[in-house]
Amino acid sequence: MPKVTFITPDGEKTTIDNADGTLMEVATDYGITGIDAICGGVCSCATCHVRVTDEWKEKVGPQNDTEKDILDLEDGADDNSRLSCQIELTDELDGLVVEVVEL
Amino acid sequence: METPSCPYHDPFKKARQENGAMETEVAGEKLALILGHKGVRTAARDHETFSSDAPFRVPIPSEEDARSVRQLPIETNPPEHKEYRAIVEPFFRRPLQKEYIARIEALIDELVDQGVQQESVEIVSEFALPLQSRALTYLLDVPENEADIWVGWGVHVFRDGNSNDSQKGKALDNYLHEQLDQAEQNPGDDFFSALTKAEYQGQPLTRDQMLGFANLTFAGGRDTVIHSISSTIAYLSEHPEALVALRENPKLVITATEELMRYISPITQIGRVCPVATDVHGVQVEADSRVALNWASANFDETVFDSPEEVRLDRKPNPHIAFGNGTHNCLGAIHARLIIRSLLKKLSKLKSITQLSAERSIEKEVDYERALGFKNLTVTLDQ
Repeated sequence: MPKVTFITPDGEKTTIDNADGTLMEVATDYGITGIDAICGGVCSCATCHVRVTDEWKEKVGPQNDTEKDILDLEDGADDNSRLSCQIELTDELDGLVVEVVEL
Repeated sequence: METPSCPYHDPFKKARQENGAMETEVAGEKLALILGHKGVRTAARDHETFSSDAPFRVPIPSEEDARSVRQLPIETNPPEHKEYRAIVEPFFRRPLQKEYIARIEALIDELVDQGVQQESVEIVSEFALPLQSRALTYLLDVPENEADIWVGWGVHVFRDGNSNDSQKGKALDNYLHEQLDQAEQNPGDDFFSALTKAEYQGQPLTRDQMLGFANLTFAGGRDTVIHSISSTIAYLSEHPEALVALRENPKLVITATEELMRYISPITQIGRVCPVATDVHGVQVEADSRVALNWASANFDETVFDSPEEVRLDRKPNPHIAFGNGTHNCLGAIHARLIIRSLLKKLSKLKSITQLSAERSIEKEVDYERALGFKNLTVTLDQ
């Protein structure tokens, strides 16, 4: 199972080994600051917004249609933005680094 | 999962499909309703065109007669809104804490277990009202027996279907003044004390600002939560297979909560004021007139939700906006979700919920009627 690293807006890095499920589920299990995920992962609340670093962008893939529609209107969203509830972790994402976007 | 057809759901369908907006009258006021999902979300974020800087005029109907203070933070625009919201946000984030979740679950366990012992339960007055009131004492960190007073105020803190809204509003004002007086004399860790200690732009809050926060806290999460609870229980009583599905797959509680909130949409719409004359999807709005962001219609937008009139407890993605959208989204959303999740979790353990009698609450306006909660709903809870 992959290892993932979250960088919170204050610069704090948290690395989690053997991450399983969606990136949002991992973040909430480990209490990552800035990932409230209050809708539980249905793509409604946008409180699990992360920015994927450039080197991981291709492997993580683009926003899906619903996600794009949500992020299009979110403050601070850009091409690297993803909703972490929409990222299913696979071995291919071992080493993934994401920045948490301030709520 | 089939849903019984209800003539009062999605009364905005035709206008939404044709124009994305409709001109109508609500409580005697001419309004432009914005109806499409994207249109509502876009308008919710365009604070210059659709302003919240409008005391008493964000709720629909407006509340000039029902209260004396501007509700905070909701009746302000960014950037002021952000500083106002930050003052009270720590209280509204408490439902993310594990201990808090356990406390709400224990409360719901107690109320459901009590209901099981009774021959029947009138859900609105005997279950939802005490549940909402007692849960609010947890949120505000005040003694639980304060809820006894709040229960006496009824489903809506301003309105009771009669003409004495201003009297009800004054009663709430008096209560809030008392609480703030006590907090100033003897501050603790509760919500009222936090208001007496808070600052806005480097200055202590004025009494009106404190009242503005407290007023919204009591009014905003009242009928909305109560309608959500009664509608959820009504749904489960009409869909025994949902109880089985939730029991067999506890993870379904999360998506089911979101789907029920989409379907119920506990606030039909909320207002914004156009400071200048504005064309809203073809509807001409005069300067200083209002538009409505119609969450209920947006949540049935068939360009976003497949078969929106069907309740699908596993719907995902589900980009509903039942709690509003953008910077003004519902402060109490975390708490409300926790209540419905905990309720589904507990009720799924029951064998059945049988409806004995029900009277829907209907919003009746000139051009539409919409079901929203119940005046009364009597059920048996069978273990």
